[in-house]
Amino acid sequence: MHSVLIIDDEIDVREAIRRVLERSGFSVRTAEGATDGLELLRLQASDVVITDIIMPKINGVDAIHTLRTEFPQVRIIAISGGGNFGITHYKPNAITTSAYLAAAERAGAHYVLTKPFESVDLLRAVETVLGVGHA
Amino acid sequence: MARLNISFTRVVSAWVITLHLILLPALYFGLGYVIRKSHEELFVESARTFARVIADEFEVGAALESRARTEDLLDLAILHADGKYAEVIEGGDSIRSKLETANVVAPRATDLNFDENGDSIYFVVLPILHAGRNAELRIGFDAEPTIEKIHLAQRRLLALLGTYFTVAIVIALVLSHRLSRPIQRLRDVSRAIARGDYTQPIQIATGIRELHDLAADLEKMRSELVGVNIRLQAQIKEREASELRREELQKQLRQKQRLETVGTLAGGVAHEFNNVLVPIILFTDMALQDLPAESVSRSDLERVLASARRAKDVVKKILTFSRELGDSKMSAVDLRVVLAEGLSLLRALGPPSVEIRTQVADRIPLIRADPTLALHIIINLCTNAFQSMQGSNGVVTVGLRTRENTAGGASLVELSVSDSGHGMDSSTVERIFEPFFTTRSVGQGTGLGLSVVHGIVESFGGVVEVESQPGVGSTFRIVFPEDQHTEHPEEPALSGE
Repeated sequence: MHSVLIIDDEIDVREAIRRVLERSGFSVRTAEGATDGLELLRLQASDVVITDIIMPKINGVDAIHTLRTEFPQVRIIAISGGGNFGITHYKPNAITTSAYLAAAERAGAHYVLTKPFESVDLLRAVETVLGVGHA
Repeated sequence: MARLNISFTRVVSAWVITLHLILLPALYFGLGYVIRKSHEELFVESARTFARVIADEFEVGAALESRARTEDLLDLAILHADGKYAEVIEGGDSIRSKLETANVVAPRATDLNFDENGDSIYFVVLPILHAGRNAELRIGFDAEPTIEKIHLAQRRLLALLGTYFTVAIVIALVLSHRLSRPIQRLRDVSRAIARGDYTQPIQIATGIRELHDLAADLEKMRSELVGVNIRLQAQIKEREASELRREELQKQLRQKQRLETVGTLAGGVAHEFNNVLVPIILFTDMALQDLPAESVSRSDLERVLASARRAKDVVKKILTFSRELGDSKMSAVDLRVVLAEGLSLLRALGPPSVEIRTQVADRIPLIRADPTLALHIIINLCTNAFQSMQGSNGVVTVGLRTRENTAGGASLVELSVSDSGHGMDSSTVERIFEPFFTTRSVGQGTGLGLSVVHGIVESFGGVVEVESQPGVGSTFRIVFPEDQHTEHPEEPALSGE
């Protein structure tokens, strides 16, 4: 049984993804942020990490950098709904969704998904990064 | 200067008349006096001479000896000298001519001047000294003809002076009128200048040096005024133009700032929405999988899913507007190819009442764009144009040409869509690129179309220009820079701190 760790600051997103993956037979853990997620991985490794890009405190791209150095064997899926950090963190050069995801890919993500996605998209992504057909 | 409403001609005439009224009577009386005196002297001289001759005759001859001869001599004096009266007195004895006019009164001692006493008779009294006798000769000459001559001469003088006066007045009038003409012309010209009409050059035909100089000086001042005025007008125009440019730039800046703010907000909202849509879609998906095929809730959940997908599309449009081009695939694009594809779609789908005309240049530079999004721009603008016709007949003109880059640098490609629809007022034009802004009624459109176009165009490095007149139509011009690089290194500046 493959294990998946989900890092997203939105509880509904985390729970929805968890439910989809658990129904397909994955063992799933969730974390609200990158710090918690890395802590969980240090306790016990996961095969796949699904991480949001835009999160408070540590953003997804930085998290991917740390994952790649600390856990080189873990497969990473980056997800993003685009937009920006909200008005208080607004930067004039607004970054496009594809730019976020491109940054994630450069940081070492194996797969990128644009929010919102359907369950088939999600499962296809996980199977792709694992390189196996999963029942 | 006290009476400003007297014309130059009148002043000159008044002066001439006044002068003549003073001088002419003096001249008349002066000349009259001279004429009278000369006539008088002539008369008196000849009368005295004649009287002397008669007296000599009495003294030399023997006439005094006989009364008859004395009378004869006295008759002779009256006949030859136009006399009225002749008398010789010796002691108390008096001999008078028979030819005397009866009513002549004998002279008094005082009546010895010309035309005295009003009797028109000039008396001469001479002593006759003959052979120790002491007699006195008295002759009265008729002064009437001489007085008449004097009166005639005086009348002629009066007529002459009257004629002179009349001619002088006429000449004075004519001269002053001629003199005043250039002055009046100068006055009219300077009045015109005072009114602001200084375009006509000052040309005064006059032989008078002072007036000629005055006209020349005025003309010099006028031409300088014209020069100054032209300079001032040019400066004003320049200032107005720069003011207009400044306002235009400020407007563009405000528009840009507003769109950026709205874009930022929209981006934030989109992010939230995308996150919200994830559990909706995923949970609905799972619920559908769990439901038995015959469940009545299945179609309900399928509707939830369809709605969520629609919501996803709307968010995608908003993101496009706020430069969140999710799936943009940039490449070197020939807009003519994209336009041809768009036109075939539009001709098939557009209303038959609208004629589509094209003005496409043979060669245009390639631009850096996503062909799908470029097509989206064309379809969107043309659909808006169709809708502006509101079902009536009209023409939509789509143009594509190379536009000179006045700022230098890459050449520009201009895509234009003009319609003959209802047009927009300036306040509408200012807001059309805002998301959710629409002039159509609810249900006819989301109000995202033009904001999406704006976002796409900006992501291609282009700009949108709008020109619209209510009731006439609108023209949208989209200007793209020529593609100058082969790859598209868009380095994301990701920063959450």
